[in-house]
Amino acid sequence: MAKNVKLLTVCGSGIVTSSMIANVITEMLEEEGYEVEAMEANPSEMGNYLARSHYDFVAYASPIDEDDLNGVPAVPAIGLITGRGVEEFKESVLEILKNAGK
Amino acid sequence: MLRKELIVIDVEGSSDEEVLRSLGARFVVAGVAKESFPDALVERERRYPTALPATAFAIAVPHTFKEHIKEPAMGVGILAHPVAFHQMGSPEITLQVELLFMLAVKDPAEQIATLKQIMKLIQNEEMLKAIKHAASVDEVYEMVSSVLN
Repeated sequence: MAKNVKLLTVCGSGIVTSSMIANVITEMLEEEGYEVEAMEANPSEMGNYLARSHYDFVAYASPIDEDDLNGVPAVPAIGLITGRGVEEFKESVLEILKNAGK
Repeated sequence: MLRKELIVIDVEGSSDEEVLRSLGARFVVAGVAKESFPDALVERERRYPTALPATAFAIAVPHTFKEHIKEPAMGVGILAHPVAFHQMGSPEITLQVELLFMLAVKDPAEQIATLKQIMKLIQNEEMLKAIKHAASVDEVYEMVSSVLN
């Protein structure tokens, strides 16, 4: 059975960059056998999203307010767009999921 | 999404605001963005900068909210001189940007295939260098379209 992962991507507009990132992460995690649900938000919406529903982690491309995270792990994701640091990103995320028992 | 009239070689300007307004105005003239588009681009860039340290050299992907957009479109601006922008996600870092990929996105779900190709383009060092040194708008158009389609 595939394990489900729900993630939130955050960028300035909550549209363009977060969609790009969501797409890369979805493909990355599907290759690892996960079933992925990705939502996109801008930094001011992030707190509300995280309060309304459970997310396994946040991937962000704009500065975020740590207080809004409410304990949800967050990983910087600019490297997914430039192609620098993709492996490091993947390692961090897999570690987070492992720690969550997924 | 890519349009020839939105490709500019030798964009003049000494600040991010100047080059954003210059290329942004093309979107308004082409009828793909509203009059509010250039102001919105500048404001959005202030709050959430869009420069990226691509492997080839620094680029920026300026864009703004969909209420300023009429039709999905993409433009390319090759800057006459490098211009200081702030890095996406790390605004304390300044990058000397040489190339702009300006995006007018209405519905990212519909344009996700194109957005994915743009990411590949950003990661393609050889292609970015070739675009920067292109001699004509047609050449840029051919190169970028070959990646997008």
